[in-house]
Amino acid sequence: MSNIINKKQYIYISLMILVFFLSLYGCSDKSSENSKGDSNESSNILTFAWPRDIGDLNPHLYNPSQLFAQSMVFEPLVSYQDGGELKPHLAESWEISKDGKEYLFHLRQDVKFSDGTNFNAEIVKKNFDVVLKNLDLHSWLGFIPKVSKTEVVDEFTFKLVLKEVYYPTIQELAVVRPVRFLGEAGFPKDGDTSKGIAKPVGTGPWVLDEYKVDEYATFKRNENYWGELPDVEKIKVKIIPDAETRVLAFEKGELDLIYDEGVISLDSFKQLESTGSYQSSVSEPVATRQLVMNTNKEQLSDIRVRQALNYGFNKQAMVEGVTSGVEEQADYILPTNFPYTSDVEATKVEYNAEKAARLLDEAGWKLAKGTGIREKDGKPLEIELMFNSAESIQKTMAETLQSEWAAIGVKLNIVGVELTTQVERFKANQFDMNFFSNYGAPYDPHTFVNIVATEGFGFREAISAYPNKEELLNQIGKVQQTTDEAERQQLYTEILGSLQEQGAIVPISYIKKIAIYQKDVSNFKFPANRDEHPFTGISVE
Amino acid sequence: MGTYILKRIITIIPIFLIATLLTFGMINLSPVDPAEAYLAAAHIQPTEEILAQKRHEFGLDQPLFVQYVNSIVKICQLDFGTSYVTNKPVWEEISSRLPATIQLTIGSIIISILVSIPLGFLSGIKKNSGIDHFSRFLSFLGASIPSFWLGYLLIFFFSVKLDLFPVEGTGTLKHLILPSVTLALPLIALYTRLLRGSVIENLQEPYVLFARTRGIHEKAILGKHVLRIAISPMITGLGMNLGKLMTGAIIVEAVFSWPGFGRYFIDAVFNRDVPVIQCYVLLAAGLFLLSNLIVDIVQMYIDPRISRKGRQYP
Repeated sequence: MSNIINKKQYIYISLMILVFFLSLYGCSDKSSENSKGDSNESSNILTFAWPRDIGDLNPHLYNPSQLFAQSMVFEPLVSYQDGGELKPHLAESWEISKDGKEYLFHLRQDVKFSDGTNFNAEIVKKNFDVVLKNLDLHSWLGFIPKVSKTEVVDEFTFKLVLKEVYYPTIQELAVVRPVRFLGEAGFPKDGDTSKGIAKPVGTGPWVLDEYKVDEYATFKRNENYWGELPDVEKIKVKIIPDAETRVLAFEKGELDLIYDEGVISLDSFKQLESTGSYQSSVSEPVATRQLVMNTNKEQLSDIRVRQALNYGFNKQAMVEGVTSGVEEQADYILPTNFPYTSDVEATKVEYNAEKAARLLDEAGWKLAKGTGIREKDGKPLEIELMFNSAESIQKTMAETLQSEWAAIGVKLNIVGVELTTQVERFKANQFDMNFFSNYGAPYDPHTFVNIVATEGFGFREAISAYPNKEELLNQIGKVQQTTDEAERQQLYTEILGSLQEQGAIVPISYIKKIAIYQKDVSNFKFPANRDEHPFTGISVE
Repeated sequence: MGTYILKRIITIIPIFLIATLLTFGMINLSPVDPAEAYLAAAHIQPTEEILAQKRHEFGLDQPLFVQYVNSIVKICQLDFGTSYVTNKPVWEEISSRLPATIQLTIGSIIISILVSIPLGFLSGIKKNSGIDHFSRFLSFLGASIPSFWLGYLLIFFFSVKLDLFPVEGTGTLKHLILPSVTLALPLIALYTRLLRGSVIENLQEPYVLFARTRGIHEKAILGKHVLRIAISPMITGLGMNLGKLMTGAIIVEAVFSWPGFGRYFIDAVFNRDVPVIQCYVLLAAGLFLLSNLIVDIVQMYIDPRISRKGRQYP
């Protein structure tokens, strides 16, 4: 009897399990066909991985839309190219009035949105106006609060009038958001894109085809594209949040390309490179990793101490060792491939521990007996360095500095904090030393010097012991307003030179992007604009 | 039984209140300003004007007490607010990701039950045999390997090297297996040991001896009596772990690119997306309470002694 019941129960349980599995299977039937389809047409698909979902592709908003994806669909009037060259894009040419306040853009006449509608001055004005309506949200971008009028001159001529002269306007028009153009059909009913868009209609080479939140997005080629038609038919963006998983998926061949800053660990990059089975490349500098000293702190207010710290560590060995040679030792506070940054005059600091020790002696910090730490008036030379605990490069560099500076008698305490805390403490001036990196192309050099001069970002307070602070601030104020190219260059050379000469902003390394791709991918090229997509001209065999 | 369940459900309300108060308090103790976190994530320079605008938009410019009461009132109306980051209703965001997480959880429960019941039972009745040693080994392994590492190992061997499963993504049963196994292994370790211990304990009970003297077939003793009673602590364990499983899926979801709500939660924590964090904590608390309730009811059914006691001494 009991045996029969057992058997019945056994069958019952087995059935239950079967039903469970079937229901699980049922939840997920569709894509088994998809994955088969993938392998068939993969010849002209480029598969790419990205850590976060691409977002809703609103050209006038920020998070959670991803910059690279926005730049695939939407295009600027002006594009930022290698060496900071600004080239015509949707605008064929432009004229700037003598007083520097009026910008006249002659638009390309052969441009259509992906839905077939025309790109013209009307739609340009509509996009600008909706962005200007949310001034507070976009005021971080220098020229936006300065716009006084937008005007349709004729079908393909658009005029932008500023309240005051602001030379970086053209350069800032190259940014990915919020000044790119949404087609008429993309606007929501009330016309206000700050709450969302109807659909992502752009003029760019790619059109969003298929999209599954947190899983993948496929872009297909815009067959109506006005420029050179991409060689690749489709780009599939797989959302893979974990860096190691990205590496494994790439090794298995599920990905064709891995690209960006910090998307995989430098160790993984080097390891993949060393197999010889893939192609890899490293970009030009996109930004500078800097160390900022707070001159409000008594120990750091003395230029000799700051210089001693500059001389007191082997920068080349540190950068080479910590970044496996991917980043490059930086001699200047901004990379020299940015506009106006190529001929900055500043003393190149060569590692010299003896000179560092001598400078500290001169400044009155003498080695105490027994502790190995320098003292002055009974106080030890103790400094705190704040770093982002999630960034292994910052952490390892902090540890290296700690041991290097210990050798010249400086005690460095290192504190790891979350990124947001790091930013907040920097702004509140609650730090001795901090890591910082500039925004990069196409925002610099004007954004960097602007941050230095503006209250509330941390820099202006940090450099308060500079004897020439007032002069610096004046120069920074002037550089944005000058219409004279030569004068502007002269001012930048002086500003960047003297900022560096005072030793509170230490250039550490030039940050670079990495790319690793399968052997059948060709014509990969890094975009000059740090935020743009890397798919221009790329092809897959 | 009905009143018992009703009582249990009523006790959920104060626990929910405490959970919301704790999360709200902890979020506000953190020195990070959600408005700043938003701007940092969006690569926008945090100027004072835009910070003020964002704070106003998020309602952060109101006194803390008002903020808390407002959020409670809304939650009572089942409105969990709008995500700071995506600007969409939080409930919509979470509920669209919930099925994937549930799928993963069910997968791992099935795997852990299928493995740990036979393994625990056999190693209990055949103490110190080969299978017992094997189950001990597996339990140590399962209890000590961190799940992210196990995930990488499984991907490396079964996906990259042997090409049996895809590395990431969802869709087919094949996609489900590796993440489920990763999530299941610590449970297998736990349940196997629980079941083994309780089988050994039960075998020494007088009722087993009594049944044997009555000449009942050994198979029937083990299958019908011992297993049925011995399985009870395992069910408690399962209940305790159901909530944990859903929340513990966070890491597994990240490793396997599984589009569940755990991954969404991690992003929310980094972005200080307060409404999302709050909704998640409430959901997790609710899950723990609900699964404990279900387990208690199931146990009453399996082992009637429990409910009888309850009736005798209310």
